[in-house]
Amino acid sequence: MAETRRSLPSRIWRAIPPGIRAPLGVVSAVIALVWVVLCLIGPQITPHDPLAQNLPLYQPPGVDTLLGTDELGRDVFSRILAGAQVTVGLALLLVVMSMVVGSVLGVVAGFFGRWVDEAIMRFTDLVMAFPTVILAMVTAAALGASLFNAVLAALIVSWPPYARVVRSMVLSLRHQEYVASGRLLGFSPLKSIGVDILPNVAGPTLVMASADIGTAALLLSGLSFLGLGAKPPSPEWGAMVSSAVRHFDKWWMGVFPGLAILTVVICFNFLGDALRDYFDPKGATR
Amino acid sequence: MPQPSVSPASGDNSDPALPSAGRQGRRSHAALLRYLGKRLVISVFLLFGITLVTFILTNLVPGDPVAAAVGQRAAEDPAVVAAFRAKYGLDLPLPQQYANYLARLVQFDLGTSWQTHNPVAKDLSTAIPATMEIAFAAIVCAAIIGVVFGAWSAYKRGKITDQVLRMVSLVGISVPTFWMAIVCFYVFYYRLGIAPGSGRLTPGVSAPPHVTGMYTVDALLAGDLRAFVDAAAHLSLPTLVLTLYTIGLLTRFSRTSFLEVLDSVYVRAAKAKGLPGRTVFFKYVLRAAAIPILTVVGLAFGSLLSGTVLVESIFSWPGLGSYAYQSASNLDLLAVMGVGLFVGVVYLSINLAIDIAYGFIDPRVRVG
Amino acid sequence: MKHLLPKAMLFAACTALLLSGCGQSGTSGTQAAPASTDQIVIDTTFDMKTIDPGREFEPTAQMLVKAMYDNLLTYGDEDTSTVVPNLATYTANEELTEFTFTLQEGRVFSDGSPVTADDVVFSLTRLTGMKGNPSYLFDGVTVEKIDDMTVKLTTAAPHPALPVVLTAPPLAILNSKVVQANGGTVDENDAAEEWLNANSAGSGPYILESFDVRSQAVLVKNPNYNGPQTPTFEKVIFRNVEPATQKMNVERGDSQVALGLLGDMVSDLADTVKVDSVPSATTVFLIINTDPAISEVTAKPEFWKAVKSAIDYDGLLEVAGSGAIQSTGAVPAQFVGGLPESSRLKRDLEAAKTAAAAAGASGKTITLSYANDIDPTGVSLQTLAERLQVQLAEAGITVELAPAPFATEVDAYRDGKEQIGLWYWIPDYSEGNDYLPYSPGQWMGLRVNWQAGANPAIEALAAELLTTSDPAQRQAKFEEWGNLLLAEGPYVPLLQPGSNVVYSTSITGVYYSPTWIINAAALGVAS
Repeated sequence: MAETRRSLPSRIWRAIPPGIRAPLGVVSAVIALVWVVLCLIGPQITPHDPLAQNLPLYQPPGVDTLLGTDELGRDVFSRILAGAQVTVGLALLLVVMSMVVGSVLGVVAGFFGRWVDEAIMRFTDLVMAFPTVILAMVTAAALGASLFNAVLAALIVSWPPYARVVRSMVLSLRHQEYVASGRLLGFSPLKSIGVDILPNVAGPTLVMASADIGTAALLLSGLSFLGLGAKPPSPEWGAMVSSAVRHFDKWWMGVFPGLAILTVVICFNFLGDALRDYFDPKGATR
Repeated sequence: MPQPSVSPASGDNSDPALPSAGRQGRRSHAALLRYLGKRLVISVFLLFGITLVTFILTNLVPGDPVAAAVGQRAAEDPAVVAAFRAKYGLDLPLPQQYANYLARLVQFDLGTSWQTHNPVAKDLSTAIPATMEIAFAAIVCAAIIGVVFGAWSAYKRGKITDQVLRMVSLVGISVPTFWMAIVCFYVFYYRLGIAPGSGRLTPGVSAPPHVTGMYTVDALLAGDLRAFVDAAAHLSLPTLVLTLYTIGLLTRFSRTSFLEVLDSVYVRAAKAKGLPGRTVFFKYVLRAAAIPILTVVGLAFGSLLSGTVLVESIFSWPGLGSYAYQSASNLDLLAVMGVGLFVGVVYLSINLAIDIAYGFIDPRVRVG
Repeated sequence: MKHLLPKAMLFAACTALLLSGCGQSGTSGTQAAPASTDQIVIDTTFDMKTIDPGREFEPTAQMLVKAMYDNLLTYGDEDTSTVVPNLATYTANEELTEFTFTLQEGRVFSDGSPVTADDVVFSLTRLTGMKGNPSYLFDGVTVEKIDDMTVKLTTAAPHPALPVVLTAPPLAILNSKVVQANGGTVDENDAAEEWLNANSAGSGPYILESFDVRSQAVLVKNPNYNGPQTPTFEKVIFRNVEPATQKMNVERGDSQVALGLLGDMVSDLADTVKVDSVPSATTVFLIINTDPAISEVTAKPEFWKAVKSAIDYDGLLEVAGSGAIQSTGAVPAQFVGGLPESSRLKRDLEAAKTAAAAAGASGKTITLSYANDIDPTGVSLQTLAERLQVQLAEAGITVELAPAPFATEVDAYRDGKEQIGLWYWIPDYSEGNDYLPYSPGQWMGLRVNWQAGANPAIEALAAELLTTSDPAQRQAKFEEWGNLLLAEGPYVPLLQPGSNVVYSTSITGVYYSPTWIINAAALGVAS
């Protein structure tokens, strides 16, 4: 019981295997902390206006422009700072939405069973059998390119794993004695779900979601890279890499946004791993 | 596509539709056949579902494919537009159009692409092998390296080797492929000159006679060593880029699987009996972990097939990913449906194969 | 025993890594030999759907068709302003309504059969009869065979631009017997396209060896060619490659020519390559919708004025890169009908602010639409749009960028639904007449809902130009038309991007043409 009363950061810290806590763990945690802080205050502390085009084009990294300038004379460093909010924020939004949609469908399928289950699971199969590129592209094209629509498009391909995992958890819970007794006591399905099922499903699902943030960030920046996500001039990192491709010899334009994506994804994956190891040592939600 | 979106959670090994006898005992062949029959019927319905969803989505896109298909100038002439619509049946009501498509589909006619002016089947017959070649190479490399890393990591659990390998695999699944492709091409080709340029072959090296469409295989079949070396060299960089992610994925997943098996009672018992480590590994551990790992390998392969678009564009590789991308952005309806169907068939076949594998050889049944 | 296992696995892992490493390192030294005349590799960005001359209408296809087919008339490689005879010489009557062509003796197709009047009649009637994309080029012209070596073209109205039109690759002369044997007809039932995408049937210096519309086209020398050109390379390979990859390929010598580099990519090339940056004949411009139902603000002529004087044209050239010049008007500066440099629009921020306020632009957000999946000749619309957004904001005009794939956006453009559109025009032929549809009520005018009668002065001049044949008179009228359009029209001519042809220093004979990019038969090896 003492365990659960610890603060969350301390639990996460303890969840990190001792071998990694130093030095990789420290580095990761520091980077993660930096990104989270930047996500909150990034736009306020940019040395230049991330949208202003008032600097010379293609300045290499230097004193005034730490990471150089891009093809329109914008400060790459400022854009990366301002972009943290876009990339990280949307990744979180996507994960939350996938989790909610997937869990609702999973609970409904698992709890009600029979044809409801069959219909929902076959629909899940359908979405999973669908090529991700095409589904996301056509959705983005149908809705028009914008960041929120990119999230919607990504959502369509991201919820099925949650539905499956949640459903299988519900299935095993349904036959537990306390759930069955709750129903004997005359709980309505809604109450039974709310009281007996959700609390037991929530933990593992959250752990699964936390491990998914990195993947979500990759998916969204990939869509932006294809021109289906962030609308210009938004400083989204995938979009920055995309416009930097043809300027590969001005390496700073593409390398830094790419490293930003990489470090953010690594950190979130690392934190997700740590959380999972702690709450779910056997990896049941993998 | 961004990143292959396979996560091990999608490994469908908890499908309750699967007769649950598997875990307790051998199921009868009749039950298995009935189950397979049901799965096949469902698969066919799923494929229809894929075409239906694609059809609806593509028709929801604001924008008329005709102008893009016949050309801006010809689209000024209403007679030309009308003729085009009539030729492709676009003047019919949507349900009728869809019915016509299905009617052609059952005769294995995928229709004609408006973009390339080729039959979709012909386009696919060149695009699929090009992508298959990278996907095969990537999945073989990734499976070997990933499983070795996973096992190694599991055996060294908690030690520094384990930590390093876990970190490496974590980086692997965190790299944005689209970024890595350009970085690799720049470094290994442009800067160092140790990788060949873009495309599937060096210009001047003639393609081997078409058998499978995969140049390395066809070159070997034709005994053309020069073409083989050239094709393999061109294959190396795109494969490297795609392998990174899959190695990370497989290392992580197989580590978990090995750990589970290593913790199991029978492996502990085998060890306690004093069996040599090698025997325990090959006879018990590998066999038990094989099926979950193969499941993920299969799913990763499926997602590689449609997940190569960004890599293909950098390496000028005329594969399925770029075909899908171009078709979708050009509202080339029939081509989009063709790609969707193909990927759907592959995905469903892989899943079916996995389920059959689970049905026939549940490791715990045999080993126990 | 306990440690054996991990070691075995370590070994396996190392072997796997080594093997995958070998795949990469065994490949050095596969670069193409640049000075050989065996083959030349040309990297570009494919934008075509077909290479059937009667159906193609995209720059890459024009380049391929030019290498495989001859036209009645053509342009020289270095002098791109004078029409010269190719398969035929011609005379015209004074009214410029009848043109008589005499075929050159002895010219043959790639199968050895002679080029005759029947082939000319077939090819030109097929072009119009199929109603393909380029068919309109030859609208209103009738073709008539006089004898085996003579053909007469007749138009109802004087057609001073006809000789120029005849140089365009869609008007190439095909081997009628071969094409007919493979499904060719002169009406909409024509079925020769598939065959013509796998074979060629022309009298040009090259013939088609293989063609894949997605990846590459291979041409080989035509052994029967007996025209005036002297092709050097046995084989010409055109490859479809991303711009960034094109740049790496050509700098490393894996290709000899790169045609698809954008103007902002050629400032710091390696020593092994040269770049020719010339203004292309492609025009990039803004269209502003005149329909109040689309936008109350953009429909006001004050708003058009505001946009014209809000733009910092030099700032656009800065991001467009090498070779780009500011447009002087709707017609490219180098064409008959182009305006002098003095007509160029200039930035006047104060005037722009006043006009924008008068149009009621403050507090309103206008949508600026463009295609984000294609880069017309040498410039990224995306980059331009981002720059325009910032410039317009300085004058108090708020625009939101709305990128979309070409296939979806072109429909909104054609239907006149965009508030502001950023578009481009690749010339169909090098003459001002091509641009007259900018006038109200014509198809370009209708894209901004500029209906007939909206500006009678412009419309009258456009009508007169169609029938004026005296060169001096034409130029004067074109300038009047162009200046009026510039001052009163809902279009903002921005720039002509640079055409940047990058090629190995070992290659000669690279001449940029606005119509067919480069002539493959003119390429040679530096001595």
